[in-house]
Amino acid sequence: MNEALEIALLVFVVGSALVTALLRDVLGSIIAFSAYSLGISIVWVFLRAPDVGLTEAAVGAGVITVLFLLTIAKTVRPTGERTVERVNPGALIITIAFVAVLSTTVFALPPVGSSESAVVTDNVTNYYLENAYTETEVNNVVTAVLAAYRGFDTLGEAVVVYSAGVGILLVLQKEVFE
Amino acid sequence: MSDSTDERTPTPYVESPIIMATVRIITPFVFTFGLFVMFHGADSSGGGFQGGVIVGTIVLMLGMAFGIETTRNWVGPKLPVGLVGSGVLAFILIGTGPVLLGGSFLEYHAYEIHHASKYGIELVELAIGLIVSGIVTGLFFVIASGMEDNGGETA
Repeated sequence: MNEALEIALLVFVVGSALVTALLRDVLGSIIAFSAYSLGISIVWVFLRAPDVGLTEAAVGAGVITVLFLLTIAKTVRPTGERTVERVNPGALIITIAFVAVLSTTVFALPPVGSSESAVVTDNVTNYYLENAYTETEVNNVVTAVLAAYRGFDTLGEAVVVYSAGVGILLVLQKEVFE
Repeated sequence: MSDSTDERTPTPYVESPIIMATVRIITPFVFTFGLFVMFHGADSSGGGFQGGVIVGTIVLMLGMAFGIETTRNWVGPKLPVGLVGSGVLAFILIGTGPVLLGGSFLEYHAYEIHHASKYGIELVELAIGLIVSGIVTGLFFVIASGMEDNGGETA
């Protein structure tokens, strides 16, 4: 049952990714991309990563879709009857080669849920799992790592988001109001 | 409330009573859910980042329902940047507080209060939530602005 669901989900994700790439209408592409993000967020839940799934659903399927829609509202729809974009053979070959090269890394990964994967045997992971509650008093180990053990990293990320965001706001606001 | 499209070239904004009523009803729940995700990150999945995005979505919904320009005028230009700045500042203050008290960076136990670590982590999550919601709101307004300038050519 679970396996059938996972296969259906993967087919849905790959299918919506292909639709995103091939549709000629940008509005349709964005809707397909949103469906893709939603599928990916469910994949994260299957992989026991609900924190990442929640982020993907909120950002990928929610906010990004709205930002894309706002952006294409400033463009014009392509004329013509075709619904599917004509594929450039050169680009197709390069893309397939690139995906093939990246796919070789997949075989280096341990199977999902394997007891020998680095996640299970690693000393650091086990230390976090055993001591997170007594040392940080929070039940969610992800939060404990994020805000306590690796708090300095998180501060760095927060500052990166801050500077990137303020930079974008400055540049775009300047363009908008001049 | 929603006279932003009067005497103006067409924009993506449709003045739909259905959307307005829906947004008016679900906004408080979405806001509560965002805060829940933010504060509940310590005990289950979720956290400042996810909660911040959900809280930021409220402004997106209001913009969709009542017109982006109207919402922007209502929120004002300073609030998003202020949220982001105060979030980073709060994070840095929480982090460096223990250093001043003789501990190391983010060593919550240096604060001599009960459950210092727990509350410290909650505050950090809240600060991250402020940053993220501010960025989402600001990006939305900035990307949506200029729409009325180009609206005529696109429609």
